[in-house]
Amino acid sequence: MSFKLFLKSICTTYFIIVTLINLSTFALGTIYRPEERFGYDAFLVPLVYAFLGIFPMCVMYSKKEMTLVQVLVRKMIQLILLEALLLGFGFGYTNLSKDNIEQMVSFVLAVFAVFLLVHVISFALDVQQARQMTLDLLNYQKGTNRFHGGSDEMT
Amino acid sequence: MMEIRLKKISRGEPEMVEIKCHEISDEVMEIAAFVKSRQGRLSGSLDGRQYEIAIRDILYVESVDNRTFLYTADQSYEVKQRVYELEEVLKKKSFLRISKAALLNLMKVTSIRPALNGRFLAVLSNGEEVIISRKYVPDLKKTLKGEG
Repeated sequence: MSFKLFLKSICTTYFIIVTLINLSTFALGTIYRPEERFGYDAFLVPLVYAFLGIFPMCVMYSKKEMTLVQVLVRKMIQLILLEALLLGFGFGYTNLSKDNIEQMVSFVLAVFAVFLLVHVISFALDVQQARQMTLDLLNYQKGTNRFHGGSDEMT
Repeated sequence: MMEIRLKKISRGEPEMVEIKCHEISDEVMEIAAFVKSRQGRLSGSLDGRQYEIAIRDILYVESVDNRTFLYTADQSYEVKQRVYELEEVLKKKSFLRISKAALLNLMKVTSIRPALNGRFLAVLSNGEEVIISRKYVPDLKKTLKGEG
């Protein structure tokens, strides 16, 4: 993948992550701190977390086409880095307590869910793109004049 | 240096290209292959025998270990040309580059489906699947929409 395409995919992923962080914040907030109220600065939190979340994507950059195993291994590394980075950012300065641990586990699971959903959504977008390309392909084939001939052994 | 002569003939006479050479070298074979490719055919070898393959029968062209192969529904033939040379000849015949090492005959693709890591797979008429690199997807889209 070229670096330009890699940056393009990062941008798409960034906005998917922002949306999913909003949803997961809503879910976790409703469970753990339903009484909490925030100022306008709270709107920046998903943007900042998503910004941090795209950094581990760097492990996926490769000029060469990767094999399935290489992709899976790099995805695992990306997930571990992602969890460590966001956990450090979100809970780095808090003391460990029973409540905190429960919240941390929920946080880790939420990050994993967002990670998984990003891939599901990206794949769904690719499926949509592939369908469109297949339709365009069929139109292309209908519109292209075929030329004739057969394969023969040379004399 | 080979001399080149062009001679105009009457409509009644058959058109032909004749190469007069001291020996049939690789260079001469390349010229012959180029002429054939302009007529919708390519020369390829299989098990030591030479064959003429109709371009419309080729599913895709791929370079493997610096050797170029043409793949039809049931055979693969080795050709002397490089992929970039064939690309020049075949681009007007519905072939498109889909990776650094491969050209795809768009007339032989039945569908396109996503693969992992943003790549796509072209499903061919014989059921085989070939990888379309992300880098070449924009070109493919343009061509399919008639903008290429």
